[in-house]
Amino acid sequence: MAIQLQQVSYTYADRSMWKQTALHGINLNIAQGSLTGIAGATGSGKSTLLQLFNGILKPTEGTVQVFDITITAGEKSPKLLPLRRRVGLVFQFPEQQMFEDTVEKDLCFGPLNFGVSPEEAKERARKAMTDMGLDLALLERNPFRLSGGQMRKAAIASVLAMDPDIVVLDEPTATLDPVSRAELIALLERLCREQGRTIIIVTHRMDELLPYADSWALLKDGGLAFQGSGQELAADPAILERCGLTVPQSLRYWQAVAQRFGLAGEKPLLTAEALAERIAALLEERKNAAGMEEKGNGHE
Amino acid sequence: MNQSYKDTEAGEEPAVITLAGVSFGYDPEHPILHDINVSIPQGQWVSIVGPNGCGKSTLVKLLNALLPKSAGEITVCGHTLQEETIGDIRQCIGMVFQNPDNQFIGQTVEEDILFGLEGLCLPYEEMKQRLDLYTVKLGIDHLLSKHPGELSGGQKQRVALASILAMKPGIVILDEASSMLDEGSRDELMGILRDMQAEGAYTILLITHDPDEILASDRVLALHGGSIAADVPPAQLFRNEDLLEKCHLREPYPWRLARELQNRGITVDVPASEKELIDTLWPYNFSK
Amino acid sequence: MNERLLLGRSIDTGSWVHKLDARSKITGMLLYVVIILLSNSWMEIGLIAVFSIIVMATTRIPLKYFIKAAKPLRYLMLFIFIVQSLSVKEGDVLWSLGSFSLHEGGLRLGAFSVIRMLFLLTFTALLTFTTTPGKLNQGLEGVLAPFKKLGLSPDRITLMISIALRFIPTILDEAQIILKAQASRGADLKELPLKEKARMLVSLLVPVIASAFRRAQDLVYSMEARGFRMDAPRSRYHRLRWGAADTLFVAMFVVLGIAVALL
Repeated sequence: MAIQLQQVSYTYADRSMWKQTALHGINLNIAQGSLTGIAGATGSGKSTLLQLFNGILKPTEGTVQVFDITITAGEKSPKLLPLRRRVGLVFQFPEQQMFEDTVEKDLCFGPLNFGVSPEEAKERARKAMTDMGLDLALLERNPFRLSGGQMRKAAIASVLAMDPDIVVLDEPTATLDPVSRAELIALLERLCREQGRTIIIVTHRMDELLPYADSWALLKDGGLAFQGSGQELAADPAILERCGLTVPQSLRYWQAVAQRFGLAGEKPLLTAEALAERIAALLEERKNAAGMEEKGNGHE
Repeated sequence: MNQSYKDTEAGEEPAVITLAGVSFGYDPEHPILHDINVSIPQGQWVSIVGPNGCGKSTLVKLLNALLPKSAGEITVCGHTLQEETIGDIRQCIGMVFQNPDNQFIGQTVEEDILFGLEGLCLPYEEMKQRLDLYTVKLGIDHLLSKHPGELSGGQKQRVALASILAMKPGIVILDEASSMLDEGSRDELMGILRDMQAEGAYTILLITHDPDEILASDRVLALHGGSIAADVPPAQLFRNEDLLEKCHLREPYPWRLARELQNRGITVDVPASEKELIDTLWPYNFSK
Repeated sequence: MNERLLLGRSIDTGSWVHKLDARSKITGMLLYVVIILLSNSWMEIGLIAVFSIIVMATTRIPLKYFIKAAKPLRYLMLFIFIVQSLSVKEGDVLWSLGSFSLHEGGLRLGAFSVIRMLFLLTFTALLTFTTTPGKLNQGLEGVLAPFKKLGLSPDRITLMISIALRFIPTILDEAQIILKAQASRGADLKELPLKEKARMLVSLLVPVIASAFRRAQDLVYSMEARGFRMDAPRSRYHRLRWGAADTLFVAMFVVLGIAVALL
């Protein structure tokens, strides 16, 4: 397991400036190398949960274990720097945290903070740019001169440059256009599949992540309402409504087809392409079956 | 321009917005908008789409002189845009912007709605009446004394909309107003827009990437590289893969599914629901 | 209830103080500040205390809210107490350690300063507790109106104040997030040596300032789109009405002032 939460609660201190939701009694396991989606209505505690993963927030009850680093409520926490290096946390609108005058310097900021040599940091910056599908020529540019989509990707690259084993992203696609959103999700999926990184994405657009996520965690009012695979989710989409979320159309269409043909046990097909392919095959089957039957009838 | 769009139903309505040869740019060599010609009749719902940086947001800001046009003529509600008519034109246009926080001017909901009304120098009774009417209409009448910090993004956008509707504009422009909202709040906002459209008193301009929002509109203006690449009804946009790609858009899921099926030789119309699709494809229940 | 929201937040109980004209409350508070600053004996502060507690009680706002208003500055008060206590070397020595010694006079002065400050903070909170920000602004505009002749623009000043009050919490929230984001990139202010901290500050300030400019631009668009023009005439939803109660309210402070001056 990459991340394990046991009976974790988090209560904001009374004098807190935050209006984020507290968490209670969370038991959560996130497998190493998996792509996990976290969803929940506004105010369900998603952002709070993410900040527990790299020790920005410490649990007020329970235990957070990330690889071999354990943070237990009430006990003195271990050095957080190694944890932060292994868990890259990308906040919402990460482009708003960029501050250097070139993209390269901004990308090197993280690695240098973790004691990486300047040469190595630059090397990592280049790799992170490539991972995010960005042109290396942009390294010399001022981050504020990039387009919105590029800036978002560069900001995510600035966390990737830390070479984290786990990458946690809070609404990474918010305000991007649909094509850029799909592109970004595809890039993140590649990080997971090709480089074996554990990717955790908080989203309120489940439809764009559904075809790719290995597992889902749904939050409701600060508690964990569901944890399981997309297949389990597809079997009982009503859980989404109970969490105040809309059932994505891809899931609704799959469910309708699956119900009609008793495909419930199968891995859900959540892209239009895959579902159309399956429907075509089903129609073909029916036609053949009907043909056979006719032949059979003819014999009688 | 590769497609032109004739609006048959609203064709009789007089145009409330006319742009003739409008350009904008800081550098004449690289204009952000170039020679825009478009006319929008009263009561129409127009989606303005296009990739980031195509000039969508700039275009709507020219209409009420938040940005200065560099060439051409703009007419809004019968006023030709010039220094003296800016005030009148701004009264005809209400705008809601993307970031719910940055357009909340007052310290409470009530104050925010009053900000525009006080600027119109309305008497107390009139302000009171509009305040009541529009806060009830948008379901925020219980939030009057709330601070922006106590409201959700969706609630703040409803306050922004109430603030401008209370000023009784004929034209309402939403500049990616739903893009920072969660799904539920987006649906709520769409519901409100649908009601407004049904009322018939508003011309709605919506800058958006959202397929469902585009689908709800009468007409789509697609901008690309600073000029109008297409002026079509939504259905035509969603059937045109090249155009979608060019505008960085996706069609709604049922449209995509219908197209994928058509590509596989299965002729279906775009289904209105999953049930409709199943019933069309398999009219008889085969399941054992 | 969180502290941030207490800043400039009214608590409506409908008491007589709530119904007062904001101008009388502002005038009263100004007088109160002067009276507190001029007070220098236990007798005087005792009188002020009785006065303050009676007025606070008549607002029907629970006392704990007033105390909460002073809470953010508790460390400053503690600091003042310690410095004052140790700096005055009068009266009996109560306690000493090396070159430090605590005298009776010092303790007295320390306590006196803290009590004065406590009343200053809790009592002036009454203004924001009993007045909505809108009315407060209008009141301020009214109080500043005479300065128009000096070329001052009260509308501009109050607009500035109200926008600042509106956006400071938002920008503080954002600064928190950026702080956390940079900490996630290995730049934790708490865990770094001093030399590095300066560099960290840049990583915090640049994004916060950039974002404040972005917000300002958005806000200007939003205000202009709603037809706002500086110095254009505006009507008012809430009217200022000076009544007998307002005169009485201000008179109370004048009487208190005279009493303190005479003691």
